Amino acid sequence: MLLTLWLIITGTFFLMHAVPGSPFNEERTTNEAVQRNLIAYYKLDEPLAVQYVNYLKSVVTLDFGPSIKKSSQTVNDMISWGFPVSLELGLYTLALAIVSGITLGVIAALRRNGIIDYLAMTIAVLGISIPNFVLATLFIQVFAVNAGWLPAATWTSWRHMILPTFALATGPMAIIARLTRSSMLEVLTQDYIRTAKAKGLSPAKIVFKHALRNALLPVVTVLGTLAASILTGTFVIEKIFAIPGMGKYFIESINNRDYPVIMGTTVFYSSVLIIMLFLVDIAYGILDPRINLNKKEG
Amino acid sequence: MKKIISVLSMLVLVIFSAACTATKESGNEGKGNQASDEKVLYLNNGEEPTSFDPPIGFNAVSWNALNNLMEGLTRLGKNHEPEPAVAESWDVSEDGKEYTFHIREDAKWSNGDDLIASDFVYAWKRLLDPKTASGAAFLGYFIEGGEEFNTEKGTADDVRVEAVDDKTFKVTLKSPQAYFLSVITNPAFFPINEKVAKENPEWFAEADSFVGNGPFTLSEWKHDSHMIMEKNPEYWDADSVKLDKVNWAMVNDTTTEYQMYTNGELDTSDVPPEMTDQLMKEDKVKIEEQAGLYFFRFNVEEEPFQNINIRKAFAMATDQSQLVDYVTKNEEEPAYGFVAPGFNDPSGKDFRETNGDLIVTDVNKAKELLAKGLEEESYDKLPEVTLTYSTGDDTHKKIAEALQQMYKENLGVDVKLANLESNVFAEDQKALKLQFSRSSFLADYADPINFLENFQTGHSMNRTGWSSEKYDSLIKEAKLESNEEKRYELMYEAEQILMGEMPIIPIHFYNQLYLQADGVKDIVRHPVGYLELKWADKK
Repeated sequence: MLLTLWLIITGTFFLMHAVPGSPFNEERTTNEAVQRNLIAYYKLDEPLAVQYVNYLKSVVTLDFGPSIKKSSQTVNDMISWGFPVSLELGLYTLALAIVSGITLGVIAALRRNGIIDYLAMTIAVLGISIPNFVLATLFIQVFAVNAGWLPAATWTSWRHMILPTFALATGPMAIIARLTRSSMLEVLTQDYIRTAKAKGLSPAKIVFKHALRNALLPVVTVLGTLAASILTGTFVIEKIFAIPGMGKYFIESINNRDYPVIMGTTVFYSSVLIIMLFLVDIAYGILDPRINLNKKEG
Repeated sequence: MKKIISVLSMLVLVIFSAACTATKESGNEGKGNQASDEKVLYLNNGEEPTSFDPPIGFNAVSWNALNNLMEGLTRLGKNHEPEPAVAESWDVSEDGKEYTFHIREDAKWSNGDDLIASDFVYAWKRLLDPKTASGAAFLGYFIEGGEEFNTEKGTADDVRVEAVDDKTFKVTLKSPQAYFLSVITNPAFFPINEKVAKENPEWFAEADSFVGNGPFTLSEWKHDSHMIMEKNPEYWDADSVKLDKVNWAMVNDTTTEYQMYTNGELDTSDVPPEMTDQLMKEDKVKIEEQAGLYFFRFNVEEEPFQNINIRKAFAMATDQSQLVDYVTKNEEEPAYGFVAPGFNDPSGKDFRETNGDLIVTDVNKAKELLAKGLEEESYDKLPEVTLTYSTGDDTHKKIAEALQQMYKENLGVDVKLANLESNVFAEDQKALKLQFSRSSFLADYADPINFLENFQTGHSMNRTGWSSEKYDSLIKEAKLESNEEKRYELMYEAEQILMGEMPIIPIHFYNQLYLQADGVKDIVRHPVGYLELKWADKK
């Protein structure tokens, strides 16, 4: 895991400096002496190798340095403000997506080719094909501006959280619903389900205890990456709803060539991703005893 | 089966009600809670201010708020002219170089401290200190010893700013500057409470530690989320301040901003580009001037634009009024000169009007000039021309495409278009790697010289390779001239030279378009600078 992280840090660091442009490139008047002072202040005049070693040192101590663009903030500040918000939004979104996605998928599979199936899958296809930023704007227009039920944007009370959660959850929900449906259909035709039916178990018990558990494996696989991206913030949704999350730091830092922020957010995101994938591996073991984390194949 | 569905729907409900109650306590309810007689203005700052450290936050997202939290020796009035602020009066020496400011007895910091002259000495030296690395430091080069200190050729002691006593502040300039009083309204010249800053160098980073001296105080600052300002009772002119609170959102999406405005969550809004036409027709859009312009730069070191007639041909084949009417559609004023309107010479005449249109759209003349240029350079046909614009703003693309069309129709020239990511674009333009490229300029202080000084040889804003000895000496003279009439004469002449040699094509002057809720009044939007809320009121 640490090796992966080191590779990511190194790759990002050198790629970032290879991109043309500088943090101080602005359209406005920039005096040369002033520029020199800025470059010296952020130690960007040192050789790249020295900057790299210094950066590695600071990563080890978990200090990601100050932002260049917003000089009175550190990258650690940004993560500590942005991540809890993104995490909160991400958790609601995940909860909504998982619960409603699995529900839709299971119902669709059980009522295969019935009206409910078609309805559920239509919702799922729409959910996948309509980009969430379109939904977001639409939701604001319909529920906030026209109906006046909910506030349009910002992140101040629970009422502000409803629209972004739904806008963000639709896509993942659709993916989960489709995956659940197809793997559920596959599992339902297996021998052990027929055995369970023959034993006279109740349909609920068959679905939840025997079928769903196995049907969820592929869902869990996508959940790892899905969760990492949702939890660390979704730029577009956060921008539209003016949510003070992590998403914008990723994007803006690259436009601004704000080197410490690019590095800090990348390292942070990769760490979350690595941890999520690790959790997925563990979840496999729990869901399917045939997969053993410790046992070597052979 | 019904059981399953009901179990699952229960689950959804439980999770959601849990989620809701968890955040209900932590979040504040926004508009719902305030007492009804309080005057609260709801504004949008777009994004987080980069810094409230006066010399560091050198951009509109920081200024708009900071200008209402602090104030310098002078402050721009409703008519955009500098008025007494922290300084109640001042004396200027006969040679126009020495200013003695008399600070108000009742000028106080928001923590109750007396505001004294040494707070200015500390702040201005800090602005110029190379260690501060302020992007605004060049504004302080007017001060004797300022440039030397900032470029490490001198020391802090050489900077001629001085606290004569607690309430008298003296500054000596390199040369007389008629616009000095207007320059120092810029946040870079705000005082800093030395005592506070020495105790806590990061005093400006949070609402709790922020100490200002303006019409409002900073009562809450949730980073990247919102800010709340409250009327400052310590402010010397607190009686003029009508608002009790200002609530700043940070919504960086114009469509959302507009939707919040129509929903009553904001009192003002920018105009979303796709709505401009409709809102203009409904007469809802308010327009204010802004001192700056949109223009194109030729690279005079690259063929074929080393030739003045070819440059002029392109300039005359450009139809500014068409671009404004059919492409940008924001009712900007087409630009036929470099200096924006709004600067008056001593006789009260507008600079732009007096110097008149220095370029006209004339297709026939343009064709003639192109032919002449081709002959002079003995070109059989024009070398390839590439017009480069930066991505990020759709307008740049639209204008570039319209120009491409104009040059094809008017000159029969096929111009190639190219675009670059804005940061790379800026770097290439500064390095003179672009042949023909878009640009813009917004004035940092309210004087025509701020526009004209950009095209001195080697200036960081020149970016065309153009150079003229005569022009350079005119600008230099203008900067040393203490007689206002003569100074304006020099500047008129300089602009004529610039436009006569045409290293640039002006397109349009900027304006500010916005929507404002009924009942909101007296928000002042200065053409140079910042949003002013001191006199703002809301019914």
